[in-house]
Amino acid sequence: MYAWKCWRESRARFVFLLVMFTASALLLTLLPGLEERNGWWYFDRSAYTRDPATMVPLVSGIVLQLLWVSGFLSAVFLGATAPGSEIEPGTIEYLWTRPRTRSSVTWTHWGVCFAEMVIVAIVPTYLGAVILGTLTRNWNMPLLLVAPWVMVIVGVPMLGLTTLMTALRRSASGGLIYTTAVVSVYLIVREIVTVPMHLNLPTLFAGPLVWLMTSNQPYLSAFPWGSLVRAVFLAAAFPLAAQYLLKRAEV
Amino acid sequence: MIETAIFTEGLSKSFGTQAAVSELSLKIQPGAVYGFLGRNGAGKTTTMRMLLGLVRPTKGRAQVLGLDPTKESELVRILERVGFVPQRKQLYGWATPAELVRMNKAYFPRWSDEAAARLSQRLEIPMKTAFKKLSIGNQTKVTLLLALAQGAQVLILDEPTAGLDPVMVDEILRTLIEDHVSQGQTIFMSSHHLGEVEQICDWVGILEEGRLLLESRLEEIRQEFRLVIASGEGLPAAASADVVCATADGRFHRYVVSREAERFAAELRGLGAAILEISPLGLRELFMHLVRKEGTCTPGNAGAKAEPVSSFS
Repeated sequence: MYAWKCWRESRARFVFLLVMFTASALLLTLLPGLEERNGWWYFDRSAYTRDPATMVPLVSGIVLQLLWVSGFLSAVFLGATAPGSEIEPGTIEYLWTRPRTRSSVTWTHWGVCFAEMVIVAIVPTYLGAVILGTLTRNWNMPLLLVAPWVMVIVGVPMLGLTTLMTALRRSASGGLIYTTAVVSVYLIVREIVTVPMHLNLPTLFAGPLVWLMTSNQPYLSAFPWGSLVRAVFLAAAFPLAAQYLLKRAEV
Repeated sequence: MIETAIFTEGLSKSFGTQAAVSELSLKIQPGAVYGFLGRNGAGKTTTMRMLLGLVRPTKGRAQVLGLDPTKESELVRILERVGFVPQRKQLYGWATPAELVRMNKAYFPRWSDEAAARLSQRLEIPMKTAFKKLSIGNQTKVTLLLALAQGAQVLILDEPTAGLDPVMVDEILRTLIEDHVSQGQTIFMSSHHLGEVEQICDWVGILEEGRLLLESRLEEIRQEFRLVIASGEGLPAAASADVVCATADGRFHRYVVSREAERFAAELRGLGAAILEISPLGLRELFMHLVRKEGTCTPGNAGAKAEPVSSFS
């Protein structure tokens, strides 16, 4: 039942993210075929069939330029509804006096958000892929097929981070602000250290996404396994830290 | 068979240097209706929260239905059998009472749909209005409904009637008596409305600055407790087991005596005092005497073995 409550509470954010990314993916997929004629928009399918081998990676790249953030955004916005966010408004007294362990509550929420994140990553990308494949009659599009899973892999540590920050700040808005602050500080410090010293540090956990975005043929370049391992580690470490914190929290 | 519904021994909680609850020892029998009284900040809510695992004790131990709330596995079993109405009656604003009932019943195997329906009708709860749009009184009623319909063995109610009009207060108290007290459920409730407590409780505990000043049967308070006003020099200024509260203003001394007031008065006369008044005490008067700052009061059980009043001198 707590899963239903998590869904009920996060569904507005979920639907908003899903609609926003799906509409954007559709628009970007159809954009090359749209042209203005006599003051109105017309769709020209021949733009897709003239050179499908070029068109597929081109459109895939355009779509992913926008969709790559979906994993991060959905992780942060859905994660902000984590149990820690109920402390400040006071509903936590109700939640924590139901006969469930605090750990199960934390992980049920995480599971619901993870499922929503997967849907937000998969639906727009695969819908774009289906439309692109239908229009070009070329189904060779590895970039789009692998993209949602990469977005999920790099999104999960952010989901954990947001869960942890809401537990630390005890509110949804505090969790959002602190997550943004942690990410911003990390990126700024990283730039301050790496740029003057000409260091080429590997990304902490977003390597698979960088790999996806910087190569038109990702399966030909080396996959950043180290970054993937760090992503998996952080994906587990952040919610575990939140679980520990919430288990000991007094309200 | 569980001997005590709620048991605490030396239970203490401090927030930094501030002691919220000090050395609290309670032993509440199954089926008792216990009024937990005290001024704001006396430590009532903190005690209740410790019993439900929301706050960890700094010292001492607590048990609810023989289970330890500081152990997670035992806490879950406590929560299955305890209905709780918190002081801050805050539920999910987006949910209607009907949704809250559906959500809540999934947690409790002994949930009664019949009781929930009856309560919603009796308390006139608009079941299809979002919680955030309900008045404070209706929000309170929803939290009560959720606690009362879950088939709990113990009800922990933190100011359950706060914000309700007198008609609804009466309705709630009648519901508690008819549906819960009569079924042998234990009720542990805090309230600032002493009239309510007198109406349904059989035990009272009075807490002040985290310390239990008095614990007694309500009937014993009515029958035994007396206010003795005496005038004289060199009279005892401190409380003892029989004298739960002693205050002095010049030559005038006021004693709240838990038993044998006549014998106590005789002992005061023996010390040269003039007895001006011996009068029975209601709960309200007793409470006021105990928690007002001008007196020194004995912490602990008024029902403890009496010591002779001569021990003062």
